[in-house]
Amino acid sequence: MSDHSSNGTPVPTDAPQFEVAARNPLRAEKMTAALFLLSVASFAGFGAAYWQNGSNFWLGGTLGFGMSFFGAGFVAWGKYLMPRGPFEEPRAMMETTPEEQKALIDDFASRGKVAVKRRGFIVGVMALAGGIFSIVALFPLLRSLGPLPKNAFYTTPWRKDAYLTQSDGRRVAVSDVPIGSFVTVFPQNDVGGALSQTILIHVQDGAIITKPGRETWGPDGYVAYSKVCTHSGCPVGLYEQLTGLLLCPCHQSMFLVAKGAEPIFGPAPRPLPQLPLYVDDSGYLRAQTGYDEPIGPGFWERGGTL
Amino acid sequence: MRRLFLPVGITVLAIALGMMFFGVSEGATKSGNPAPVRLTADPGPTSAASLASGEELFAENCSTCHGAEAKGSALAPNLQGLGSATVDLWVSTGLMPLSVPTAEPVRKPDKFTNQQTLELANWVQSLTPGVGVAIPTVDLKGANVAVGFDMFAANCAPCHTITGAGDALSGGLEALPLHGVTATNVAEAIETGPGNMPRMYPGALTKTEANDVVAYVTEDIEHPSSPGGLGLGGVGPVAEGFVGLFLGVGACMLIALWIGERTEREDPEQAHDELEPTHV
Amino acid sequence: MIEGLWNWIDNRLAISRGGRHMLNKIFPDHWSFMIGEIALYSLVVLLATGVFLTLYFVPSEHQVIYSGPVLSLRGLHVSEAFESTVNMSFVVRGGLLMRQMHHWSANIFVGSIVVHMLRVFFTGGFRRPREVNWMVGTTLMILAIFNGFLGYSLPDDLVSGTGIRIAFSILESVPLVGSYLATFLFGGAFPGNGVIIPRFFILHVLILPLVILGLLGAHLGMLVRHKHTQFPGPGRREDNVVGTPMFPGFIAKTTGFLFLVTGITALLGAFVQINPIWLYGAYVPFHVSYAVQPDWYMGWLDGALRVMPSWELHLPGHMIPNVFFPAVLLPGVTFNLLYAWPILEAKITGDTAEHHLLDRPRDRPIRTAIGSAVLAFYFVLFGASATDVLAHYLSISLNTVLLDFRILCLVIPALVFPIAYKICKELQADPTGGKRKVHNTVIRREHGGYESIPNSEYVGYKVEEFAPVEVDHVVVVDDDEEAKEPAGVFQIPRRNS
Repeated sequence: MSDHSSNGTPVPTDAPQFEVAARNPLRAEKMTAALFLLSVASFAGFGAAYWQNGSNFWLGGTLGFGMSFFGAGFVAWGKYLMPRGPFEEPRAMMETTPEEQKALIDDFASRGKVAVKRRGFIVGVMALAGGIFSIVALFPLLRSLGPLPKNAFYTTPWRKDAYLTQSDGRRVAVSDVPIGSFVTVFPQNDVGGALSQTILIHVQDGAIITKPGRETWGPDGYVAYSKVCTHSGCPVGLYEQLTGLLLCPCHQSMFLVAKGAEPIFGPAPRPLPQLPLYVDDSGYLRAQTGYDEPIGPGFWERGGTL
Repeated sequence: MRRLFLPVGITVLAIALGMMFFGVSEGATKSGNPAPVRLTADPGPTSAASLASGEELFAENCSTCHGAEAKGSALAPNLQGLGSATVDLWVSTGLMPLSVPTAEPVRKPDKFTNQQTLELANWVQSLTPGVGVAIPTVDLKGANVAVGFDMFAANCAPCHTITGAGDALSGGLEALPLHGVTATNVAEAIETGPGNMPRMYPGALTKTEANDVVAYVTEDIEHPSSPGGLGLGGVGPVAEGFVGLFLGVGACMLIALWIGERTEREDPEQAHDELEPTHV
Repeated sequence: MIEGLWNWIDNRLAISRGGRHMLNKIFPDHWSFMIGEIALYSLVVLLATGVFLTLYFVPSEHQVIYSGPVLSLRGLHVSEAFESTVNMSFVVRGGLLMRQMHHWSANIFVGSIVVHMLRVFFTGGFRRPREVNWMVGTTLMILAIFNGFLGYSLPDDLVSGTGIRIAFSILESVPLVGSYLATFLFGGAFPGNGVIIPRFFILHVLILPLVILGLLGAHLGMLVRHKHTQFPGPGRREDNVVGTPMFPGFIAKTTGFLFLVTGITALLGAFVQINPIWLYGAYVPFHVSYAVQPDWYMGWLDGALRVMPSWELHLPGHMIPNVFFPAVLLPGVTFNLLYAWPILEAKITGDTAEHHLLDRPRDRPIRTAIGSAVLAFYFVLFGASATDVLAHYLSISLNTVLLDFRILCLVIPALVFPIAYKICKELQADPTGGKRKVHNTVIRREHGGYESIPNSEYVGYKVEEFAPVEVDHVVVVDDDEEAKEPAGVFQIPRRNS
């Protein structure tokens, strides 16, 4: 296969580089053949496993061993039964000479001048057409993907007098929720809603440290907070009844239920918004109004206040 | 030819690992027996003799902290009015009694026989007849596992994880793993809300839903189907990542180590400087 | 017949003109040059298994009632995406294997890309003339991570759905345009109007694979143009490449490697379960599981979200949300530093010469120390994505674990830097360190003196040449003193010389 060394003198093909790499080629041949034979057996097994609707274990095991032996056979062949090398090839530096560069640039410039000469107007109009198309194309490509955010991040389907409704459609009455329990609730017109999900907790009345202006929001120890974490939006579904903590399973922010769901640990920056509740004449829990602040994680337009 | 040890070694290792996993996965898929449903107080050892026996057991094992009348002390809470379910849950899971009064409750084998546990629970119940949660009767016939799973994902998985592996809560607290619990224990926990766990019935679950959850836990959580091989403890992508990196990429790099050279070759002829490497 | 066919083709494409050159292309023999091939071949596995999966996957969020073989899901409302993924695992013959192989090879793909990058980084393989190829490679890594996340999200199961929810919040957190980005991509506020799975699907199976394949072509094209780098060694110079020619040696080894990588992936797919979505259930916005994490290559991001203190930046009328800092700023800075590194290093060291011989990491202690420290930082962040699992299994308070990680992600890199630097310096001082030892035979002479001779395996010495002597003991030891500096070793260029 070869003729010249790097300095141009012929190299005999009986140079040591052309010797077979293995010290004991016969053994290497046997080994390679054995690997290929094993792969034959495994691949046949794969066929049988497929035919017999075998389990994942047998399908994958036979395929995996077959592929591995097949590959190992190739490698053994290449590593032990081919010229041991090493061989060499020359490499040119990437660095170009100033003359080479200049030649190309000169060519480009001189031909370009012929094309563009005194045709500035054409070039300008062409650029304008391209530019306008790029801007216009942004609309079908981007703008049509979805609606503008508008007030999507500011409101939830919670409205005045909405019933607290469980995911199976049951309305929640005060008697349904013993002290120490919690229930995930939705407004009746948005059961299962991702943004309206709210966690209703019954704590010992009087255990609550009410924030000013929220005196009536948690009647008889029933408090409801948005279940959407103010950190990155996971459902805050983990309630510890003795410590009175709500914990977010995603990043372990901890909110103190008795104190307006203020974050006391972890990355959550803001308390969970509270839903004002009242108990109606039939004993059902209902919302006084919707949330008074955007629920969930922060966003640019949300404003600087808490 | 000594270098052959590497491929042979890898093959042997792979077969060994494969067989190991085989044992695990076969074991996991074959065991389909439902968890034992512990027979409960039906008709129940509520005779005078058994109550006396329960009182005696309580005096010996519990009264140091909970008081002779189970009214609690500075060391331990009042048990009166909680009902037999709470006592049965804590005692049959080995959480109670504590080895020393200051120890953290941990799950261990039940100190008492089933009969003794029930006597103990029924004696505490007898102090406040009709008050508190009685040991629930579990009947999983006709339970809907799928509804149970749905409710489990909504109400239980946030703490116990979706595979029931359990996880850490705030400040060293723990949501216990759900493996190795009886159906009765699950039902008791749902109805009494032990420790930091909120009561799930009544409230989040109806009685049938609670029963469905018990069915899901005792059938699927206890015996997860693992048709894809080793289950990795059900802790998800972190464990999978370690396997992918160390077994997957690691094995491929070991193979690369076999295929390639470990040092740039210093061939004898080159070292002698007699022959330049050949240009083919 | 074959000769005739060959003749016909060659007379139309003139392959023989220049084709011989390709047969002779030299590939270095050092094993670390094969790490990139792991990535290449796991991409092949990904494409092959991925094509299989597309035949059965239904990219739709349309809700249906599950009625397949998994009892614990029967009768539940699930999306078609979830249902079809469960069905391809249990109904389609070999489907579970294909799914598991696809997922495992995604893990291996990104993993080997990262290891390959580390090899290139620590040996200075990114230096002129290969800066552009480094940047193409960095882009490939980012795209691989991103496409991995998309694929992980497609089954619409509980765990990945939670990941999509977090992704929405991250998009939303971008200053100025965040809320627009989020609603445009999802078709409204979370969970959108049912378009996210179809959009992720087309990105995952068509658009990103096309970009990845295109960039891979450029990556390999530049490799052929530049030819391989190589470690310094006997006969290895800046103006040559020493190794094995493409044909027949390399082609046999690399073909074998392709099948071996496939084999390893299949064995993992057979024996280790990955992403058992039937245990997780379909995504429901108000369901959640504890101990959820993304796949490992996104783990550092999850860890960063966890260790970030609860800060937000409040501006008049506007805010920069908490997740912006760990999830947008941190990756932005990291990836841009990766892109800029070859330029930055050349600026700092003033070394703008072409390099085809690689550095040994010890000879560039500062680069090695910086790389190690950054790697350690990301490794700690990856660990932080499992704070809850660690707390659970080690029985430590969750709060303590998180606070510890906040400290560790600053302290560990600060410790790793000087340690790595010191190790480099120590290794520099030991010229034989890291070289294969030569077995020597130590012979005690009659008169009590010792003589150490390299044993017969060491070429250039013949034991027989020594006169037979009375020998009391023959002890084979590693004797560094006798290790000869091989002829023709290249001096590694130092930048201050």
